[in-house]
This record gives sequence, C-alpha cells and structure tokens, in this order.
Amino acid sequence: MTTIPIHPAGKPAYNLSRQAREAEIVLDHITDDFDGNPAAMQYFYDLFRRVYIQGEALAHEGKLIGTTCIQAPDELIYAMGGTPVRLCNGSYHYDQIGADFMPAKSCSLVKATLGMLHADNPIPRIGKPDLIVNPTTCDQKKKASAMIEDMGYAVYDLEMPNVKDSEEARLYWQRSVRQFAQKLRQVTGRKLTKKNLKAAMARTSRAQAAFRTLHNFRKASPALMLGKDVFLVTNAFFFDDIERWIAAVEKLNAELAQRQADGYQAAQRRAPRILFTGSPPVFPNLKLPLLIEEAGGVVVADETCSANRMLYDMTAVDEWLLHDMVDGLADKYLKPCTCPIFTRNDDRRRRLLELAASFGVDGVVYQAFAGCQVYEMEQKSVAAALNAKGIAMLYIETDYSPDDHGQLTTRIEAFLESIKTRKRKRA
Amino acid sequence: MTPSKSACITPLQAVRDAVNQVDFNRFRFWFQAIGFVLFVYGGYLAIDLGSRLPFFSCGYNQEGRGGVCYLLPLQHQLGRSWPTLFSAASLAILTGFLVFAAWFIVLNKGWCGFICPLGTLQDWITALRRRLGIRYARYSQGQFAQLTRIKYILLALTILIPLGIGGGWFSRDMSPPFCLICPARMILPIFTGDFSQFTIDFSSKTAMFMTALGMAVTGLFLIGSFVKKRFFCFFCPMSALHYLISRPALLKLKKDGDKCTRCGDCYRVCDMEIKEIADDIKTTDIMTDDCTLCLKCVASCPEPGALKATFVGIPIFESTEAGFIKRMTREHAP
Repeated sequence: MTTIPIHPAGKPAYNLSRQAREAEIVLDHITDDFDGNPAAMQYFYDLFRRVYIQGEALAHEGKLIGTTCIQAPDELIYAMGGTPVRLCNGSYHYDQIGADFMPAKSCSLVKATLGMLHADNPIPRIGKPDLIVNPTTCDQKKKASAMIEDMGYAVYDLEMPNVKDSEEARLYWQRSVRQFAQKLRQVTGRKLTKKNLKAAMARTSRAQAAFRTLHNFRKASPALMLGKDVFLVTNAFFFDDIERWIAAVEKLNAELAQRQADGYQAAQRRAPRILFTGSPPVFPNLKLPLLIEEAGGVVVADETCSANRMLYDMTAVDEWLLHDMVDGLADKYLKPCTCPIFTRNDDRRRRLLELAASFGVDGVVYQAFAGCQVYEMEQKSVAAALNAKGIAMLYIETDYSPDDHGQLTTRIEAFLESIKTRKRKRA
Repeated sequence: MTPSKSACITPLQAVRDAVNQVDFNRFRFWFQAIGFVLFVYGGYLAIDLGSRLPFFSCGYNQEGRGGVCYLLPLQHQLGRSWPTLFSAASLAILTGFLVFAAWFIVLNKGWCGFICPLGTLQDWITALRRRLGIRYARYSQGQFAQLTRIKYILLALTILIPLGIGGGWFSRDMSPPFCLICPARMILPIFTGDFSQFTIDFSSKTAMFMTALGMAVTGLFLIGSFVKKRFFCFFCPMSALHYLISRPALLKLKKDGDKCTRCGDCYRVCDMEIKEIADDIKTTDIMTDDCTLCLKCVASCPEPGALKATFVGIPIFESTEAGFIKRMTREHAP
C-alpha cells in the first residue's frame, strides 16, 4: 500500500523554485512509486516537504553553528547552547550555482554547498549561521573555507590531521578539538561545563542508540524497509531538532519490530542486498539508492558520511571530568573515521567487509562524485578487498546532474541481474 | 545481536545477556572490596590460603593477611647459602613455584585487576582524585615504551639479589630486596593498625639504605597513584613474572579484529594506557604485559563480540552493543 503524503490543506500556493521542484520530483518518487512505505516515515516525508519544497524556515535554539562535515563535534555545540546544522547540500540547482567557485571537475557536494551559501534565499531556510565550522578534510573543502568567508560568513577551520593512526595525530586532533571548544565559547558566550557537556553527550548517544536499532533491523532478510527511506531518516539528522528526530526514529523502530513479528517483506526474498559506499547521498540527490531499489535491489547497509559513519560510533568516557570527556569525544571523531582523506584506508576496507558479512550483502555499489579524487583513488583497493571475499562491486562515477540517468539505470540493472544469476547458480 | 534473534531467548542466552549488560564498574568495585577484606583481614577469620599467592597479599601484614604474596618466600628461598641452594632441599623452590603457577593460571592477570589489595588501593586513590575533580596524568608514547621495561629489571633484581646474598656478595640486610622497597609492606599493615614498618632501620648502612628507599618508594606510590591510574602496576615485578608464564592461563582476553572499528573506546578507559587494545587487529590473545585484566575495555566496547573474556575457551563476558548502551546511559544520568 502506498502512503500518499498529506499536503497541508489551505496552505497558500507557493512559488516553486528550481531547487524546490527538484526536491519535489525526488520526494514524490520516494513516496509514490514504491510499495510499503512504513507509516512512521510520514514524519520524514512531511518534514522534507515542508523544509525543502515549501521552504519552511527552520527554528533553532541559541547560536546556529553550520558544519560542513561530520568531524565537527555536535556535542560541544549542543553543550554550549548552540544548534548544529549540517550544510552539505545535495541539490543540482545549487551545484550549478556553485560551479562558479570551483574547477570544472570538482565535487558536486562541495559545489552545491557553496552554491547554497551563495544564493540569496537558499532552501532549506536554515538562517544565516553565526559560525561555519569547516574541518580541514579534503582539498576541496579546505579551499572552500576562504570562499565561504568571502561570501560574508564567519568561518572556523577545524584543523584535522590527514593521518589518523599515529599518536601524534591523535594528540594534535585532541588539541584541535579543545581549541574549537574555546572558539565556541567566544561565539556563544557560554562556558563548557561538565554538566552541560554530559547532557549533550547523553542526547547524541540516545540518537545513536536509536540509529543503531534501526541499523540492526536492516540485517533482517527479507528486508523490513527500503534503503531510500533510511537515507531520508539520516539526512533529516542534518537539520532536524534532535529530540524530535529521536522520537520519530524510535517510532519507526517500533513499526519495524511489528513488521518483523508479522513476517513482513519490504522487498522480494531474492532481491539483491546492496551495501552502499563512497560519496554521500544527500537529499535530493538520492539518485543511486533510488535507481538500485527501482531495479529490484535493496540497500541494506551503507558506509557513507551522510548515514552510518555519522551516527554509528559511540563515545566512551572513563572519568566524567571535562578533559576526559572532550578527549574522549575527540577520539571518537577521529579514530574510527573511515573518510578517504586519510593516508591509509585499512579501516574502511575492514569496515566494508564486516558490514558485508553481518548484513548478508550480495554486492556493493561504490559511488564517487566526479572530482572527488580521494574516493576515486580508493576504488581499486576497496574493489580488490571485496572481490577477494567473493563480493561483487559496482563502481560508479557520477555527479548531481540527471544526464546520466539512462546510462546508470542500464549499469545498475545489469549489476543486479548478474548478482541474481550468481545467487541462482549457488542455490 | 540482531533483533530477530532476541525473539527466542534460551535460558543460557538470558544469563549471558544479563552478564554482558552488567553495571561493570559497580560489580568490579564490590568484587575488589571483598578481595581486599579477604586478604587484608582474612587472617582474623583464620583464613590462610598459603604463601604462594600471585598478588600482593603482604606477608608483613602479620595478623590480618589471608595468605602471603609469593615474592616473599621466593626471595627467602633464593637467598639460601649456595650449598643449600644447590642441594636437593631446593626441590621446595620448584614445588613452590608450581603452586604459585597453579594459583596464577586460574585468573591470569585477573588477580591484578580484581584481587590484588595494592591494586585495589590504587583504584580507591583514583576514585578519591576523581571525586575531587582533578584530572589524571598520562604518559607519552615515548615514555611508555621506556618505562614499561622497568618491571622486568625489577624482576631480574628480585631474583638476582637474593642469589647474590646467598653467595655472600651482598649483605643479609638487603633481604628480601623487593619487599624492602615494596609499598605494600608499609601500607597494607596500616589497615590492621600496624605502623611498625614505617621505620628506618639504623642497624647497618645497608639496612638504613634499603628501609629509606622503601620509605621513598612508598611516598612515590602515594603521590604517583594519585595522579596516575594504577601507577605502581606499571613497574610491578609480579606483573612481569605473570606475563612470562601467562600462555597456559585459563582466563583470557580475546579480540576479534574483524569486528573492531578501532574507535579507541577501550584504549580511552584503559588504566594502563595500552594502545594495542584498540589498534592491534591481528592478535587474538590481546593481553599485553602491562594488562591487569580488569576487563574495563570489554565493558566499554560497543562492537558485539569484538572483545571478550574467556575462561577455558568459554566466553564469560563479552562486548555487546546493548551492554555498552546500558552502561553509558547509566553513566549519563545526572
């Protein structure tokens, strides 16, 4: 049964900008063209419709802190009474505007983020951030920093090492995070205390616990829900009120538990189970996950910074004193990170193999945004690691433009077909 | 654990889940407290578990001890005059060692993390510091690499000096050399009201030197364990001896590197600052020479099955997501 989203009645007609139209096409596709959307997803469908299409302004408490990467510790921002909002943008419309700032072949996500920040009345209407935190990760994000500043924003470069294994890198990053806390103190005028940080950490860890429960439900075979909806859920974490988000995810989890008890199938028993990795899908650019699921596959897990990598790893603290909490947070943001900007990618490969094994994955789809060199360069080693374990990988270089839709459909259908054939042979 | 499995729980699984979700710090606190009472006051209850114990149940705590640390008789035995030492009478040294090894093998270094009264005392000093809101000190990686060798040097001296005494090279006033500088000798008897070890022996130059050194080490112990978690364990010759014979031990700390995300949560809570626990994904038997097998790492690991304590190969305490979340939620409560 298809749940059709309810458009608020009596709402004045709104002027669809190109961005909004783009978002609407994708959202309608997500809601209308698939069977068995969980009822609890309605919250997220409505949220995206309000924020991305109707252009509803987002409310926030305290200072608004924009982040351009998951490496900026949200907990510190919440502790000092601010609201973090992730600025990474997925709109082709803003990608085109942002193209003015970057060389022709560069990352769509960075361009779209620049384009959105440059636009006059950008949607989502997050309001002007009091500070934009830009962790110094890949070259494109690094260089974007000065450009964002030139647009009239206050930017803080959160210094991040490009090696993560050494003790030196760890200590450097810990210092970096402490400095960031000081910067936040200047911006917010609030002091970081044991009490407010502990409360903030409790809050994010509840969000993580909710996410992990959702994540675990995806191990079920046949699948209990489709991956396109999970990407919507994790995308909402970028900007939604965290308490509301937790409540909505818990509601979804309850529904999935019920589905499991009822023996519900969201996909065919034989549907190829896909692990998604590489450049992050950010709404409305859910192009690839949607293509996979239209073609009869199901995305059961991911290893991307717009979903799993953002919410999975949890922080341990030994002594609840400020320094131990801040250092513990720093460790959590650096040590398990599988971002390709680091020198080595052993952890990423191991993580993918672990996910593939525990989620019963049949194949991996690896998305690299054209111009995202680090993902492009890691492709071969990741494919080799997966193939060694007998897991097929499809590497797709793409961007936000809809032009390659036809070509990608063919490739994905062929990939899924080959998986099905292989499964049949094995059976 | 997948939600699908939780639907049909066997009684054994229910017990396992309960254990894995235990409030670990509290459990360990009480376990240690009972161990402390047993070995510092057990003597009053006529408890005597012999003199081959693999932890600091100090023999100088004459009345209260529930048994004696093996290092005390070992040094005395090795300090016999050489003719006696190299006679059949020294078979006793061998049997003594075997009894010690038999004790040790049961809990491995778990004796350090759960039973040793001096270890427990350091944890209490740490708790005091934490309550006062004072931060702890850490070593740099370079310091760690150097300092970690000291315990082997101390172990060598603990064995060689008594041999030298037996050979007449050193004065008998140096015997037993390690006990004379061990902080447990001075501190543990205090708990039964015996302050007699807090003296400097002026009977000879050697005695004066050794007792003064012991006094200094005790001072260092008190200050050190206030700023540094498990300060003394890092230098403990018993810990070095443990490690040398730990291979056949029954209690083991196991790691499944494939399940590890190297998030470092275990390293963060490790009192001994053992980096390998987080970074080494190849070794399955992950207990290192500095480890006290306190199992805090297992309790703080969010990855199911990545770390586990096994007894004779059977998992008895395992890292789980649910356990991690439950413990953290408890900690988060204001």
